[in-house]
Amino acid sequence: MDSTGGSAAVSLETVTKTYMVGEPVHALDGVDLEIPRGSYVAVMGPSGSGKSTLMNVIGCLDTPTKGTVYLDGEEVTTMSDRERTRIRGEEVGFVFQTFNLMPRLTAVENVALPLVFRGIPVGERRERATELLERVGLGDRLDHVPNELSGGQRQRVAIARALVNDPALILADEPTGNLDTETGENIMSLFEELHAEGNTVVMVTHERPVAEHAERVVHLLDGRIERIEELDAVGAEVES
Amino acid sequence: MKPLTNLRMSWRAIRSHKLRSTLTTLGVVIGVAAVITFVTLGASLQAGIIGDISPDDRQNIYGWAAPEESSNQGPLAGAQPVFTQADVDGLSEQPGVRAAYGYTSIPTQSVGFGGERIPRQDAVVATGVEYVDEDEIADGRRFEYGQREAVLNPAMANAFERNVTVGDTITVTVVGGFAVNATVVGITTDSEARSPFEGFGPGPRVYLPLDPYYTQLVAEAQETPRFPAIVVEAESIEGVDRAKESTRSYLETDSDAQEQAEAANLTYELQTSTELLGQLQAVLDQLQAFVVGIAALSLLVGSIGIANIMLVSVTERTREIGIMKAVGAQRRDILTLFVTEAVIVGIIGSILGTLLGILGGWAGAQYIDIPLTYPVEWFAIAIAVGILVGVGAGLYPAWRGARTDPIDALRYE
Repeated sequence: MDSTGGSAAVSLETVTKTYMVGEPVHALDGVDLEIPRGSYVAVMGPSGSGKSTLMNVIGCLDTPTKGTVYLDGEEVTTMSDRERTRIRGEEVGFVFQTFNLMPRLTAVENVALPLVFRGIPVGERRERATELLERVGLGDRLDHVPNELSGGQRQRVAIARALVNDPALILADEPTGNLDTETGENIMSLFEELHAEGNTVVMVTHERPVAEHAERVVHLLDGRIERIEELDAVGAEVES
Repeated sequence: MKPLTNLRMSWRAIRSHKLRSTLTTLGVVIGVAAVITFVTLGASLQAGIIGDISPDDRQNIYGWAAPEESSNQGPLAGAQPVFTQADVDGLSEQPGVRAAYGYTSIPTQSVGFGGERIPRQDAVVATGVEYVDEDEIADGRRFEYGQREAVLNPAMANAFERNVTVGDTITVTVVGGFAVNATVVGITTDSEARSPFEGFGPGPRVYLPLDPYYTQLVAEAQETPRFPAIVVEAESIEGVDRAKESTRSYLETDSDAQEQAEAANLTYELQTSTELLGQLQAVLDQLQAFVVGIAALSLLVGSIGIANIMLVSVTERTREIGIMKAVGAQRRDILTLFVTEAVIVGIIGSILGTLLGILGGWAGAQYIDIPLTYPVEWFAIAIAVGILVGVGAGLYPAWRGARTDPIDALRYE
């Protein structure tokens, strides 16, 4: 478990991601970042600043052009596609702006989906998924398909799914972007609860009020970390 | 992913597009059904012919004289009337020969009985007494040569409203309107063809003596009646080849037929029923291969249908593939899911197709009136092919799905 990453949930060392769009474009340009276990980090920045790329690289959906990424102490940059897929399934829980639930699967089945690909038997899958849906307050919506659920409920299902493998890291990409303010706040308090329970949360957002729920805000600009803000419990800036 | 889970998920995907899945399956159903139907009909046809060659038939030699270019075209192809009664009598004296007699079919307009007339073009055969074996007579006796007598098979006897029985008189109206009467003296045991000359399969038949019926019919045209075909029965199955040689040498040196054969440049076709069977089988095999080939084409079309639908399905579910990959689905998992889907369609299609084909084969055999024989090994082949079609057609779309980049897939609308 232990290497350069130490006890950090995520550790990035001079990570660069270059796309060739006629000329090279640096979506990430030498990013160094350490996200300790149990922390709550928001990533902010204008569009095109590299937020999504950072998120994909951390979540093992994408590989950096240069640099090293450690996830829970394991170097993932040298891994094969197969191993990265396994890490993605077991160590990372994704929460997306568009929920990304399977439309034909019920809430329980959606939550249990990551377990399917780990070969967990159906009884155990259902039990674990039910437990988590109850945890996010959807114990009475177990067998509803996404179409029968409200936006906030769908996001809760997605959050339950992200938790099902007991991941080292929850990665949320604009989780309140498709929700009204009140529902958004409910979701944000759910994230706070999860954080309080010891989960590591990394959240990409462009909304300041959302980011203020976090302990730290990483500001990205043109693929570089512009500055890192430390916030106190009420969301006010402590130092810059 | 556990196989059962995989199966359940694939089945669910199929069920969620009922109409589309049904139409795709239909492509396979039709392909497999076509193959099974034609293979069944082919096998039934062959079995019908092989079944007709009874053991005592195997010592028979069937002969006719035809121009060289007609050879190998089947029994009686290009046959010319060259054989006289004297030839037949001479042949029956040859060593190793039990009996020899002439054969011809009489072009007929209708067969009448009790005021009822049944139009039949190919039902009346004029031949020798021995053509119908004694033990093939169920009721009555064989006809006598030179007498106005007839032997009927059950299919013919039962064709009339009031069944024909021994002692009744039937009327045969030949082409040209000329009508002759015959007293029925015997009914055969079955309605199978009694020689390759009659063609394949069962059918209604009237057997008449060549004399007086054929002789009378051709009296105006021919000074001496000449038959287009002969049957020589060897004394034993082992002696059939020797008998064939002596028949040929007799025909070429001592026969009345030789003069005409030379004048018209005809060659003698002498074939045992085993040889004729072999030729027929070769022709049938070619026909079968041809028809099954066409049916196989429709199976190919069906598989293209599966491939097409699977491609659509993969594209349509790009986002779902992205979600599954994001939560830990390996390429292999995605590949298996889609291949399983195609294979399920293939299996269901081929099972339904086999059932439909069995039904089609049965209906076809009923329609062309041949005994039904199911080539069971072909059913296994058809189902195996259906599964292979599923795998083959599903593999590329599944591979494309498995290769999908999760980042692109999640962004896909």
